[in-house]
Amino acid sequence: MGLYLLKRALYTLPMLLGVLTLVFVLVRIVPGDPAIVIMGDNATAQALAELRTRLGLDLPIWRQYIVFMGDVLTGDLGRSLVTNRPVLADVAAVLPYTIELTVTSLALGIVTGVPLGILAARKRDGVLDWVARLVSLAGLSFPAFISAILLLLFFSIQLGWFPVLSRAYPLDEPVERLKSLALPAINLGLIMMAYITRVTRSSMLKALSEDYMRTARAKGVPGFYVIWRHGFRNVLIPVITVIGLYFGVLMGNSVLTEIVFNRPGLGKLIISALDKRDYTMLQGLMVIYAFIIAIVNLATDLAYGFVDPRVKAK
Amino acid sequence: MRHLLLASTMAITVALAVPASAEGVLSVGMAAPDIGQVDPHKATTTQDKPMTGWLFNGLVRFPPGSDDLGALEPDLAESWEKSDDGLEWTFHLREGVKFHHGYGELTAEDVVFSLNRAANPDTSSFSGDYAAFEKVEALDDKTVKITLSAPVPSLLGLVANYHGGNIVSKKAVEELGADFTLKAVGTGPFMVGEYSPQESITFDANPDYFRGKPKLDQIVYRFIPSDSARDLAMQSGELDVVYGRQDQQWIERVSAMDGVSVDVVRPAELQNIHFNMSMPPLDDIAVRKAIATAIDRQQFVDFLGDAIAKPAQSIIPAGNLGFAPQDLVEKGDPAKAKQMLADAGYPDGITLKMIQTSLPSMLSVAQVLQAQLAEAGITLDLEVVDHQTFHANIRKDLSQVVYYSAARFPVADVYLTQFFHPRSIVGTPTAATNFSHCDVAGDEIDAARVEQNAQKQLELWKTAQQKIVDEVCAVPLHEQLIAWAKRDNVDYGYDLKAAMHLGPIINENTTVSDE
Repeated sequence: MGLYLLKRALYTLPMLLGVLTLVFVLVRIVPGDPAIVIMGDNATAQALAELRTRLGLDLPIWRQYIVFMGDVLTGDLGRSLVTNRPVLADVAAVLPYTIELTVTSLALGIVTGVPLGILAARKRDGVLDWVARLVSLAGLSFPAFISAILLLLFFSIQLGWFPVLSRAYPLDEPVERLKSLALPAINLGLIMMAYITRVTRSSMLKALSEDYMRTARAKGVPGFYVIWRHGFRNVLIPVITVIGLYFGVLMGNSVLTEIVFNRPGLGKLIISALDKRDYTMLQGLMVIYAFIIAIVNLATDLAYGFVDPRVKAK
Repeated sequence: MRHLLLASTMAITVALAVPASAEGVLSVGMAAPDIGQVDPHKATTTQDKPMTGWLFNGLVRFPPGSDDLGALEPDLAESWEKSDDGLEWTFHLREGVKFHHGYGELTAEDVVFSLNRAANPDTSSFSGDYAAFEKVEALDDKTVKITLSAPVPSLLGLVANYHGGNIVSKKAVEELGADFTLKAVGTGPFMVGEYSPQESITFDANPDYFRGKPKLDQIVYRFIPSDSARDLAMQSGELDVVYGRQDQQWIERVSAMDGVSVDVVRPAELQNIHFNMSMPPLDDIAVRKAIATAIDRQQFVDFLGDAIAKPAQSIIPAGNLGFAPQDLVEKGDPAKAKQMLADAGYPDGITLKMIQTSLPSMLSVAQVLQAQLAEAGITLDLEVVDHQTFHANIRKDLSQVVYYSAARFPVADVYLTQFFHPRSIVGTPTAATNFSHCDVAGDEIDAARVEQNAQKQLELWKTAQQKIVDEVCAVPLHEQLIAWAKRDNVDYGYDLKAAMHLGPIINENTTVSDE
């Protein structure tokens, strides 16, 4: 197990390096000048040039790259070009809220999507199947920012149950914190549920048509056990795959969701950094995102080995 | 069963009902993901500026809700006198003014420190405004003397509660270091409370404020980048005051909400079309005149709505000291423009390249312009890029036509210098934002800056505007105001006509009552 983990972890290293290089190049290819953002649009060319020197933006690009890589490898993501606050501190302040949101919506998606998919597969073309297919189609087709506004209009404006503006409530105010979390998590959870329902349904349909299922039923195993012991275990692998795969989609949609619900999180940070050409902040955020995705991939691989011993053996 | 359902729904509703905003707390919504800083000498953005008006004082101040340089009144200084040549100014400070958070009493030392800080490019974004400051010294504990190397058009404007004129605590700057950025200490009616990244910053009433303790207990300044979230929060009553979009439809929609009204105020951003005279065919004045003839300026006001847009009358904003209305082409005449182009040697029309920001409010204006010019046989090639790219590339002298929208400190000198002085031509080391390479009025602008006779100074500014308009360096389209919405239970305590800080001043007289 330890060796397996180590091997997997080593695989992610070149990926992280590649992402870092790509990120460094990308943020600099985009035209725009952080100096104008910092000084305001009435600054003179001379003042802008002096500021660029101070920020190290006038160095040759390869030297900026070496500085950047050296800093990242020593765990230093630098300071924001615009606010001069440490990137890591800004990220650390809001990261818990993004994690809270994504994990809650992932959980929502799993606890609703898996049963719905299984039930739909059991009675193929039945009423429940149609409902499940319709709901998941809706979840896939609605852009996150549209469904977010619809949720707000109904639950916040019409019913007044939840606040329009989410806030970063501390843990000792659990009710307020939950109320702030509810709508954004439902919004993201619906999307995740859509993916999970679809993949659960189709893999369960495939499993149900296998010979061993017929054998199990023929030898008199009760319906529930057939599904649970023989069907569900085979469904787990594709479901884990889709969860790992779409976790990236979830992170992307969390940006939009955080903006519309005005939740603190990486979303607002990244939009603001992009808007202001805050190179160091953008780089720092990309490093964090890449890191999260790498960890999720690693966790997915480990989960394969856990649910299916054959994977580990390979 | 139905009753049970209804009852439980109601119970949940009551339990979950959003509490109305607490009394004495004013919630303000701003269109930004986060704050940059509360340091008044570095606050240049729309989200950072309004707060400076709540936290700080100048030696003099704009009366709340006014942008009139002629109306400046005593603030931290009780009185002042100047020498006959306008080079020496002496200010006498008010007694007993206290800085926030126990940073002690305001002394002449703090004023000297603040003005020197504002003049230093390392600590201030406005150092250029203070280039003529030769020496600032404390004559005694309550007297400050400013010595200028050359007269400036409005010295009082430079020591008002705006940009570099805001007075900060010397002790706080030195003690807090980099933390001052988010914990700035001033003398104003409110003081920095708690900052939550990306969410809000609170400002608490300053109990020692020299004009009296504020009637509000607290301001919560919330960062809400999503337009729809801000509007919905206004509708649900979670916000009392909200930054508005410069958009007639927004104004009409929000005004129609229950218990909400919209203030449309100055400063007006003047929208100019600059012609890059270093590039053919725009180096030919006949061509520029033809283009000016093709532009129908009234159409822009009609397009944007007359609540938010006003016709422009010169190449500097109407509210500026030194503004003189010009004789401009009022009604576009494409046929005549076509003929003028033919006479200038372009019977088949011309094609112009224009780097254009994708900012929706500006892009739609550029598209109206494009359609107008097309009628006169002028093809306007829009190269649409995002806003930061636009700002970077037009400063590299890459665009034949530049559409720029700006408000500046309301003295003609500032707008004229930045946009039309030869020293400001883009691509040069001293460049600012002279996109047209306009060089016809440099002498007048320089002379007006140091002229001590107010009448002569106005004449010089008038001549400068006249020359620039005659040369067709730029064509002004319209002026665009800014909008703020507030709930009816909010009373600013004064008449909001203008927002020098891009947001309403909230001071000791502002109240929010139960609805």
